[in-house]
Amino acid sequence: MADTEVYLEKLSAFARILRMEGLSVSPRDTEDAAAILTRLGFEDRETVKTALMTVYAKSREEQLKFSSAFDGFFLSEEAIRAQARQRAEQERQRQEQMEQAGEELEQIGERVRLDEQERQSYRELPQEARQKLQDFLNRYKGNVDRSPQLYSEFIHSVFAKTMMEQQMLLENAGVGAEELDPELGLLCRDIGAFRDSEIPKAIALIQNVARQINGELSAKRRGQGSSGKLDFRRTIRGSLSSGGSLHRLYFRKPRTRKRKLVILCDVSGSMVQFSEFALRFIQSLNQVAESSRTFLFSETIVEADPFQLQNMDRFRDTVRASGIYGRGTDLGLALRHLCDTRPPVLNQNTTLLILSDTKTVDTARALLWLQEAKRQSGKLLWLNPIPERNWKYIKSVGAVQSIVPMIPCSTLGELAAACRRL
Amino acid sequence: MTLDELKSRLDETSYVYDENMLTTLFVALTLGRPLLIEGAAGVGKTEVAKVMAHALGRDLVRLQCYEGLDESKALYEWNYQKQLLTIQVDQGREDRQELTKSLFSDEYLLERPLLKSIRSEQPVVLLIDEIDKADEEFEAFLLELLSETQVTIPEIGTIRAKTTPFVILTSNRARPLSEALRRRCAYMHIDYPDMDKELAILRKKLPHVDDRLAAQVALAVQKLRATEAILKKPSIAETLDWAAALDALGIAELTPEAIRKTAGFVLKNNEDLLTLAEEQQEHCGACQGHCHG
Repeated sequence: MADTEVYLEKLSAFARILRMEGLSVSPRDTEDAAAILTRLGFEDRETVKTALMTVYAKSREEQLKFSSAFDGFFLSEEAIRAQARQRAEQERQRQEQMEQAGEELEQIGERVRLDEQERQSYRELPQEARQKLQDFLNRYKGNVDRSPQLYSEFIHSVFAKTMMEQQMLLENAGVGAEELDPELGLLCRDIGAFRDSEIPKAIALIQNVARQINGELSAKRRGQGSSGKLDFRRTIRGSLSSGGSLHRLYFRKPRTRKRKLVILCDVSGSMVQFSEFALRFIQSLNQVAESSRTFLFSETIVEADPFQLQNMDRFRDTVRASGIYGRGTDLGLALRHLCDTRPPVLNQNTTLLILSDTKTVDTARALLWLQEAKRQSGKLLWLNPIPERNWKYIKSVGAVQSIVPMIPCSTLGELAAACRRL
Repeated sequence: MTLDELKSRLDETSYVYDENMLTTLFVALTLGRPLLIEGAAGVGKTEVAKVMAHALGRDLVRLQCYEGLDESKALYEWNYQKQLLTIQVDQGREDRQELTKSLFSDEYLLERPLLKSIRSEQPVVLLIDEIDKADEEFEAFLLELLSETQVTIPEIGTIRAKTTPFVILTSNRARPLSEALRRRCAYMHIDYPDMDKELAILRKKLPHVDDRLAAQVALAVQKLRATEAILKKPSIAETLDWAAALDALGIAELTPEAIRKTAGFVLKNNEDLLTLAEEQQEHCGACQGHCHG
């Protein structure tokens, strides 16, 4: 009994950590974990890990979180020593880097006036990023005498850009996840940053996620009430097995009409990879809409042939052949075409889905037609492939957001979440 | 039962397991918790239930889930025909209340798998297969059984389990399961086996197949699973089918020719067969005819 209490104390601390990691751990789980440890003991670390994982982790994703939490909490003696050594080595390297960066700053400081925050950020930059900055400084060195003010502002903007790039690298959520599970990593990474070799894996992943969403949506639809009209035919047929006694009544399910989907897809140079994945996703979702029409646009607009879209491997060829690939973006023109087309493309039973990064020529005109499109369609949604954290830097995003609900879709995970809202 | 006892009983079966699986099964069995097993199709999830039934010397009660499964198919149903017949026969009976009461007794109750598993005198292994195929309502209906090992029948009341079944639920993740269901279960995920495990499975299930051929098949299947362009990865069942087919054809070595003839046993769609053919062509082009599988 005493043993169980000892385990309980340790395990309740561990349960707190698991909850911080996002696992839903109940007191009963901890009781069960303690009970099982009294049977198994602490001798074999792997056995303990598997036993606790069985009790605490309730899905594959939770198993991955559990694994790293366990390794951090129940350190072996060897691991503690190795960690201490590693920490000392990291500290030594950091000191060296700071000293070296300090020397470089002395030289830069003569030419550019940097504030303390910029100096601190510079010291923490990796070697390659510092080298890149120094190259810039050397290349434009001659300008310092001609226009010192302009040169200083330019250098400050280069600093800001380099630091922002570093910050974005650190914020890339897929980096950590990919080490644990490549599939999860791919879900969390920026779609535009997929390497060619990763594309087949991403496509297979899309099929899996789309299958899941289809299942969810179909279950949701089935669950939406069954209190329609009485189905006489089925009720009478069912009663034959009990000699004509109507012991069970069957009801018709009210028919839920799916919306018609109109997709307006930006295929200008920077958008083509995202558009390909997004369309592939939406095409796989047979539960989302009754029918769909897809329009591709850049400076002009064309309607995509639904048969060609069924084979998404040919998407790039289709886009290239249409002559609109890699050109600028004119959203206003595309929306005007949609609103003016006869017979009408948009009506109150249509969901208009716009896949674009909001960068367009003549934003004012685009916003005007966006309002018209919103008026004509039943529902309007905007999927934006730019990460949400960068929206504040792009003026057109704010303007579009004031008219249309915008959903961030820079990763496959976000794209899946967006498709659930369609 | 101790961990070693469970191990020795599992050793008596032909199932190939690893230490992690053994520990997980032991934990679920000891705590009396239902075990939820997830993994791709064909990795041996259902087999775990069969093997546990064999190892524990219990009967296996199986409930196959599908869309539209309801409690009349899973738990119980009244025998309406028999009830109607009784009413007809006893029409002249004066004690109506007694008659009504008797109509909802055990005599007219048709047990379905779930009820059967908790009313059994001897503990059983209850397999609820492919729970992700059932509707969400059915999932919610299972919660009472899984947490309290009891079910409620309106006409009779609550039926408590005579013996506690060892419940195993399997899912291919066709849809996510509810948090409430997951919370009540111990969890295990089964991945595709690595090379050693696959070879061990081949040796145990098909002892008559030549060792060299088995190794070649296992290696080829590992490569196919690692090929990103293959959409439907071969399962263990398909590995076994493939090895058995090669053996039946008297093929002793996995040459490109043998692969071409029997690829349909391991790859189950046309796109994957075409990918395999392309890869073989590239490979043969590169090694200029020196390859032998």
